[in-house]
Amino acid sequence: MIDLAWKMLFHDKLRFFITLSGVAFSVTLVLVQTGLFGGLLENATITIEHMGADIWVTSRNSPNLDFVHQFSESNVERVRAVRGVRRADNLILSFMQVALPTGAEETTVVYALEDFAAWGVPWHVSAGDLADLKRGPNVIFDEFARKRFGAFEVGDYREINGQRMKIVGTTREAKSFTTTPLAFVDYQRAQQLQPDLLRGRASYILVKLEPGADRAAVMTELRRVLPHNDVYAAADWAARSRDYWVKNTGIGFNAFLTVFLGCLVGVVVVAQTLYTSTMEHLREFGTVKAIGGSNWDIYKILGKQAALSAIFGFVLGYLPARALEPVIASADLKLIIPSELSLIVLAGTVLLCLLAAVVSFRKVASIDPALVFRV
Amino acid sequence: MVGPAILAEGITKDFREGQETLRILRGISLSVAPGEIVGIEGPSGSGKTTFISILGCLLGATSGQVQIAGKEVNPKRPSRLADIRRKHLGFVFQQFNLFPSLSAQENVEYALNLKGISGVAARKEAADLLDRVGLEDRKHFLPRDMSGGQKQRIAIARALCGKPDVILADEPTASLDALVADQVLTLFQKLAREDGRALLIVTHDSKVRRITDRVARIEAGMLAA
Repeated sequence: MIDLAWKMLFHDKLRFFITLSGVAFSVTLVLVQTGLFGGLLENATITIEHMGADIWVTSRNSPNLDFVHQFSESNVERVRAVRGVRRADNLILSFMQVALPTGAEETTVVYALEDFAAWGVPWHVSAGDLADLKRGPNVIFDEFARKRFGAFEVGDYREINGQRMKIVGTTREAKSFTTTPLAFVDYQRAQQLQPDLLRGRASYILVKLEPGADRAAVMTELRRVLPHNDVYAAADWAARSRDYWVKNTGIGFNAFLTVFLGCLVGVVVVAQTLYTSTMEHLREFGTVKAIGGSNWDIYKILGKQAALSAIFGFVLGYLPARALEPVIASADLKLIIPSELSLIVLAGTVLLCLLAAVVSFRKVASIDPALVFRV
Repeated sequence: MVGPAILAEGITKDFREGQETLRILRGISLSVAPGEIVGIEGPSGSGKTTFISILGCLLGATSGQVQIAGKEVNPKRPSRLADIRRKHLGFVFQQFNLFPSLSAQENVEYALNLKGISGVAARKEAADLLDRVGLEDRKHFLPRDMSGGQKQRIAIARALCGKPDVILADEPTASLDALVADQVLTLFQKLAREDGRALLIVTHDSKVRRITDRVARIEAGMLAA
């Protein structure tokens, strides 16, 4: 079979290139924006994902991981007494001030646990030893903190909330949604750093279940024994934290708007070039009708051209989006383009390009077949 | 085929222009037998192209009846019209109307594809048709690399696809120089006579009379006596 759609498309290479550029631009925009949004959201819950807890006990109505208020640390005893609980520990999460050598102050999010190793956090220690946190006024910063706090090395000292702390290690990939650098401190040390707020108090209780324990039953019991706290499965707590940022701030709408505009640009470019191309090839389409073709034969040509533009445009847009990953990573941002997202964007691109072809379909349907006789 | 290849009876065609209704064709009747070559002449604006569009099932008549190869043409059923075009009609246009992105061979092959012939059979038939019109050494050339006469030969080869009963040609020599026009007319004559096809040629060119069996003249939407 002669593929007229393909031949027509490649016959005018410049027009095809312009169409592809429009589609590729949209695809890159959508992938990068969605990927950045995904990266930000991953940061919002990355510690929840890495913490080996099955259940999180939080303060009442906490909207997300970072916006927390404290409750009595003795609540953990009630949790430990619940059947099916294998281990339960208090976690402190608190914003504290770091004095910089320049005289300025920056904020850090302090994570404090009695036994970090037991919970698998931090998950990527790039220098130092977690055990050193228990050996004095020590702190481990994430490497990202260098962007905000200036250069530091293991062995340097920084003041946190006015107390001199020794940097005994560094981590990688430990980030927060707000981009505030993370610091890891021993549980009791954190309470000493912020005694007014934290003495005798904790931010969360992390719960690990016995193998085979009924999570729902344990959660019901936890809610009963801790009526002034909330109890979440880890995945639900992560989802709640992400939802907060998506729904309660402009970031979700912002991402939606950029994706929408990206799609709009793509549709307009494809619709415009396909329509112009249809107008220029009107006599050819009239000839298709004259020599026995139907409207459907012409729709197939236009539909195939739209689909080919979508697929080639997607590839051309996908490659730069992937190439941007290291550039974005160098700015300490994350671009997450999972294969599911790529497939959705590909399907969306094909669908929108076909939609853009509808304008041309309408034109073709109204072709006066006798135009083939006109000079 | 028994009976006329083209039978048109009392064809009228009205066009609306604003509030006005213009009657372009006023009751034209014409019959063309298989193997017959008929010329249609007339001044510009007389309705020749409208008439050939109606015969070609590209335009519906306001009133009157058309039969192509014995098949009633009903303008209210577009899919049936496409079917008649596909099975019984071939077209040759003044501007050739070739697909610029397809080679000579592909232009003919595509028409065969639309008529339901594909693969090796289509390739072979397209090559045979191009051989018949004397383009055996130009099969893989794009139209832009060919002369007007060669383009018209491709158009003729394309019109012959599927062995139609009727070929409608609109000013087929108007874009050609005298020598090439003469060659194209000879080719038309040969193909019509050999295969017993009805050939209707709309033209201003008096040289066409050389190959026609008769000429019908349209003036002001009517057949002149």
